[in-house]
Amino acid sequence: MLSYSLKRLASAIPTLFLLITFAFFMIRIAPGGPFDSERALPPEIEANLAAKYHLDEPLVVQYGRYLWNIARLDFGPSFHYLDWSVNDLILQGAPVSFTLGLLALLLALAIGIPIGAWAAFRQNRAADYSVMSLAMVGISIPNFVMAPLLILLFAITLGWLPAGGWEFSPSRMVLPVVTLALPMIAYIARITRGSMIEVLHASFIRTARAKGMPERSILFNHALKPALLPVISYLGPAAAAILTGSVVVERIFTIPGIGSYFVQGALNRDYTLVMGVVILYGMLIILFNFLVDLIYAWLDPRIRYDEQEA
Amino acid sequence: MSITSRFPLVAVIALSWAVSAAPLSAATLDRGVGPEPDALDIHLAQSLSALNVLRDLHEGLITLDASARLIPGLARAWTVSDDGRVWRFELDPEARWSDGEPISADDVIAGWRRALAPATAAPMAGMLDMVVNARAVRTGRLEPSALGISRDGAHGLVVELEQATPWFAELLTHPLTFPWPGENRSRYSGPFVLDRRVPGAHLQLARNPEYRDSAGVALERVVWHVIEEPSVELARYRAGQLHITETIPPGRLDWMREQFGDELRISTYLGTFFLTFNVGREPFADAPGLRRALSLAIDRELLTQRVLGAGEVPAWGLIPPGMPGWPEAAAADQGTAAERLAEARELYRAAGFGARRPLRAELRFNTSLTHRRMAAAVAAMWKEQLGVETRLVNEEWKVFVANRRHGRITEIVRGGWIADWRDAANFLQLFETGSPLNYSFFSDHEFDGLMSAARTRHGDERLDLLRRAEERLLAEHVIIPLYHYVSRHLVKPQVRGFEDNVMDIHLSRWLSLQ
Repeated sequence: MLSYSLKRLASAIPTLFLLITFAFFMIRIAPGGPFDSERALPPEIEANLAAKYHLDEPLVVQYGRYLWNIARLDFGPSFHYLDWSVNDLILQGAPVSFTLGLLALLLALAIGIPIGAWAAFRQNRAADYSVMSLAMVGISIPNFVMAPLLILLFAITLGWLPAGGWEFSPSRMVLPVVTLALPMIAYIARITRGSMIEVLHASFIRTARAKGMPERSILFNHALKPALLPVISYLGPAAAAILTGSVVVERIFTIPGIGSYFVQGALNRDYTLVMGVVILYGMLIILFNFLVDLIYAWLDPRIRYDEQEA
Repeated sequence: MSITSRFPLVAVIALSWAVSAAPLSAATLDRGVGPEPDALDIHLAQSLSALNVLRDLHEGLITLDASARLIPGLARAWTVSDDGRVWRFELDPEARWSDGEPISADDVIAGWRRALAPATAAPMAGMLDMVVNARAVRTGRLEPSALGISRDGAHGLVVELEQATPWFAELLTHPLTFPWPGENRSRYSGPFVLDRRVPGAHLQLARNPEYRDSAGVALERVVWHVIEEPSVELARYRAGQLHITETIPPGRLDWMREQFGDELRISTYLGTFFLTFNVGREPFADAPGLRRALSLAIDRELLTQRVLGAGEVPAWGLIPPGMPGWPEAAAADQGTAAERLAEARELYRAAGFGARRPLRAELRFNTSLTHRRMAAAVAAMWKEQLGVETRLVNEEWKVFVANRRHGRITEIVRGGWIADWRDAANFLQLFETGSPLNYSFFSDHEFDGLMSAARTRHGDERLDLLRRAEERLLAEHVIIPLYHYVSRHLVKPQVRGFEDNVMDIHLSRWLSLQ
């Protein structure tokens, strides 16, 4: 397992390198530059700005400089938020996005898996139909509709919770966490149900039932673990996405996470900020996919990576 | 044993909940700032949000009162030479930085030199071009010490200008001209100091006890909340989390009036929205009649009242109402709607277009709900009144700005300008030959001559030249003025000292909470 892990981590380096190269040149191909604005600047001032940020150098030199800087974990100054470096922006925003994402993820797992399993256990009965109908509603209502509805109800009409703004306090987190978690709950419930139904029809479950094992034990000790494999597959990229913030939820609740940097960075042609968040997202995707593979092996004893390779 | 002693976590959560859900504090003003300020460096800031915060944190030689009238700031008095070229300021000896150090003329000189140094790459450095040698310093041809600013005695400062500049006093209220705090960015010359800043969330300011008029500042704290979406800002205002909003969402004016009554503050703002023809390309090059036809076919009242609906004022000229010394262009001067349409059709036919050969034009704008509504309405009016086939081109912001500037593919583009200072030349400079802001590619000897002559004249004579320049621009139909902007805020009844003004600048220094 150790050698497998090391190989996987080593293979991440060329992947990241390709990602960085692709993103670096793509954002520079986009029309318009970081300093284009409503008020066009005199050419001398544009030249000063280009010199300050090394944008007057050949692209290959800029690329080399960028690689050298990120090798030292220096993502450079933001071209739009001039008081901050990209490192500052990510270090300040990432904990916020991570906290919200993690809470939403835990809430989604805590609710999605039990109701999905329950629906599978009650397949084609009223409970199943109710859960799946609610899940469909959860998936169908986009968060830019759900968030204002929650604000209208809980912040404006009832006045129980703030309409937005950010502090590490429960009252500020409730609405954004619930908004983020709702579609995830629905996805996880549907995936769990589908996979659980398949497992419940497997021969080893029939054998357990034939031996007279109680249903509760069948469900929790034998069926749940293999039924979770598709959920785990889903969780890899989903966790990377939710932990790096949601543009919509951050804008509606005015949360200072990093989600909005993906869009604002690109719109402002903030080259360094775009690169910073793309690299962060790429690293998280690689990391979570790797973790998913490890959890697979833990959940399913038949999966042994080192043996397979041998 | 109470539940809180048994369950300390419960107590912590309950307390934090109570704190975070607390209502607006009487000593703290919560106001929206719009998007995240681009920089709190006085020389790098460009965005309106940054300039608003910087005016709370720093102060210039001259400052603004609640109505945005010019009043003494760090300079308690000043004189101007007869030719308008030499300005002498006497700095307030009581003025202190927030760390207690006196603010000296040298701090102002250091600031201006840094603003113009090529290495600083200050985007707005061109604003100081009227100062002797400023252009040469910012292009690196002269040392910063050659700049026309010098100390005069213990508290005196002398600024020499290349030529008289009527708006120079107002320029001194712009953060670019403020004294430089030095590399110690955490000291401030204004009524507040920056206490805490979370990017994307808020900027928390605390009263500066060292400020020269600290006793006159009522608020203990000001929190500027970063909120990009007007609808989100409105939700937070309605939930009681904001005292003042930066703006209001478009298109809901009737509902807003009904809902908020006197809390809704709509006021004249020095800005004009217009469409610009690219007069350097077909089909609008050398076609002033056709351009006039398109202008006359637009019903501005319908556009502002029914389509945009946020209090905008129909426009027939470039210079907005409220500009000092400027006559207001009235819709009545343009004839009745029927007369305008009849003339538009006549001009359209005279330009060689008609039902069989309709004009095919492209209207380009950047992504925005307001712009999209405007463009759709204008295209519909042109189609209905003249039969013009308009292709609407919605572009992402940077693509739009780049295309508009290069002018290689543009025909009609979305334009607009908001006053940097109260002077008509600030608007008219957009159309001078060679100006980087001239995306109409209008190049006219008569217009340029009038603008050039205005630079060397004063008072009414200068205003007259500028009026003639505007008349020339409008007679050539380089632009289609559509509406003048208005400032729009929601202000809670307990806020005192908020006075509507044409610059829409409301220093927190003048505000208080009842």
